[in-house]
Amino acid sequence: MSGAAAQDLLALRALLEERFPDASPITRRAATQLATGIAELDRALPSGGLPRGRLSVWAPQGGATAILRAACHGVLAAGERAAWIDSVGTVAGAFWDEGPLLVRPSSRLNALRSAEELLRSGGFALVVLAGAEPKGQETVRLTRATRDGGSALVALTTHAAMSALKLTSRITPADYRYKRTPFGDPAEITHARVRMDAVALGWKAHAEFVLPVTHHELRLSLEPELADRRGASR
Amino acid sequence: MSYVCLWSPSWPTGAALPADLVTALLEHTPRVSVGAAGRVWADARGLDAGALAVRLVDVAHRYGYSNAHAGTALTAIAAELAATQRRVPFTVVKPGHDREFIAPFPIDVLEPSTLLDNLLDGIGVETVGALAALDAEHIEVRLGAEGMRLWKLARADDPRLLFASPARALPSASVEWVDYALRDAERLTFVVNALAGTVCDKLAAGGQRAREVALAFSLADRTEFAHRIRSARPTGSQKSWMRLIRAALDRITLPDAVTGVTLRVESVIGNDGVQGDLFDKGFASAPQVERAVSQLMDDQGDVVLTPTNSAHPLVDARTEWTREDPAVAATSGERGVAKAQSGAKPTPRLTLQLVTPPRSVSVRTEERRDHQVPVQYRDGGTSYAIVNVAGPERVSGGQWEEGGPYAREYFRCVREDGTLVWLYRDAVGGGSQTVGQSDSRTANYERRDCQTVRLSDCPTPWYLHGWWD
Repeated sequence: MSGAAAQDLLALRALLEERFPDASPITRRAATQLATGIAELDRALPSGGLPRGRLSVWAPQGGATAILRAACHGVLAAGERAAWIDSVGTVAGAFWDEGPLLVRPSSRLNALRSAEELLRSGGFALVVLAGAEPKGQETVRLTRATRDGGSALVALTTHAAMSALKLTSRITPADYRYKRTPFGDPAEITHARVRMDAVALGWKAHAEFVLPVTHHELRLSLEPELADRRGASR
Repeated sequence: MSYVCLWSPSWPTGAALPADLVTALLEHTPRVSVGAAGRVWADARGLDAGALAVRLVDVAHRYGYSNAHAGTALTAIAAELAATQRRVPFTVVKPGHDREFIAPFPIDVLEPSTLLDNLLDGIGVETVGALAALDAEHIEVRLGAEGMRLWKLARADDPRLLFASPARALPSASVEWVDYALRDAERLTFVVNALAGTVCDKLAAGGQRAREVALAFSLADRTEFAHRIRSARPTGSQKSWMRLIRAALDRITLPDAVTGVTLRVESVIGNDGVQGDLFDKGFASAPQVERAVSQLMDDQGDVVLTPTNSAHPLVDARTEWTREDPAVAATSGERGVAKAQSGAKPTPRLTLQLVTPPRSVSVRTEERRDHQVPVQYRDGGTSYAIVNVAGPERVSGGQWEEGGPYAREYFRCVREDGTLVWLYRDAVGGGSQTVGQSDSRTANYERRDCQTVRLSDCPTPWYLHGWWD
């Protein structure tokens, strides 16, 4: 390619990025990045972080919540704010680490409103929308609010429309590690290996994490007076 | 602060001072207080203190106290000594000369206790000035707390606040009409909007933000209907208050037509800004965050929450959710930095996600030594095979609790698709149960009503309580 043609191509690319900022791939660094503070994750993300001002989607389960919660704390550690919108009330208070703003709206619509409000405020570097899947026009509104506020929005959903970055993670049964009883039965699940894929226009990366499994701290409190049917045959 | 002290050796004690004398004094000064030992204090701030002293002595003369004396000074102790220790009717202590003025008086004028008086006598301190000339350390060591108090007075450092700052009237606005009674909500909103504009302008002028306002309606039946509105975040913004007022007007029902409206502020806070930190990334956006969180709370109720956990054996009964303060929410970044500096690193870990309330599922079990473990469950028409099970973990109790006794057997089960789920068998539950007695090829489930069978024969129900993610 001649020098003049290369110059023209660069000028055309710059013009396209200027006119259609949402259409340019995030690997072009049109969007600034939000480093999550988790080295394995940041390495797998284009330009080293979640794209600010863009919508990213992460397919639910497979360790997505664990990694995103840690990312929220990473964002806080850098002095910025993060919010977690839990629209179906799955967050267990006993396992919630103080830090990110926790919003528990009563309905899907209220969850979307909350996300829009927080995004537009411009005060949150990372907003995670869990349990409420935006559809059609709702996604358009959210992406606009994301762009206006400059936050990184991650929706835990399988609908990838309008997203700049698509993330998936999975754990297979063989990925769990156990402590076993003297009889060889699983007594406690200690770790799990999570495989994560990040896909964006012009970008495909893979990362693996070994995550500890938080025990739920049940307290044994057996009562002798209680009708105890444990182990009763069916 | 500038004080005038009025005193006469012939007038009665403070309690017996004629009330009409105080009323007469109030004609010359806005604030008068009667203190201990018959001292009458007048607030001379913004007034010509010397002229005021002359007028107050004249009033006292008119009431028959011909030997009344007045002293004027910037400190209460200097004014008091000027009135009580000098033989002339008026004494004006020049501003900044209070300490020199009181220095020649004998130490007794500061009314030390007998013990302290003896000590002062012992070290040869006879005048106020001699005491003021001593070092603070020496006074503290030798004469103790009372000595320090007296030493401060001797230096004309009088902490007495004789007149507290007057409470400022809170902004309010009202309008009344007599020609007609209003029943139209739109017009009422229009009127309230005008009042809110006036009130918010007053708030802005006073550098204040309102935390709560009251909307009082005068009704055609000559009664009043008042409704208080509280904002999650104190604000002086007309737009914010009108949003809340509109929401309140949508909810309330007035018993009659309206003939007048008053909007008054019930409580305010100052409009002080917080000192910023150049290196705090979130400082600039903190007000926007506070505003956004407040708006969420105003629109949706208490949705921004923080958990408070107890030591209850059941995870689902362990947490009480409390409302997060918008101002605290705005400082989350600051706290995150402090946490990071203390060495806490963000580490992802699979944590329990709860299904609230636990969802009833059908479970097929098989025997593992002395207990049964789930091998398959059906949830909402979908069947999931379980490939690995850890458990059981048994928890029971609650005989003396409101919800009644509980006994559960928890299992952590790895599904075929890799999801780690949390199932439990309710050992004290009743109702319609699923009995897993089919073979794994057909996965048939038989249901029967537990109310009709003996407890010992009744299989207990299973629930999906959560998953790890």
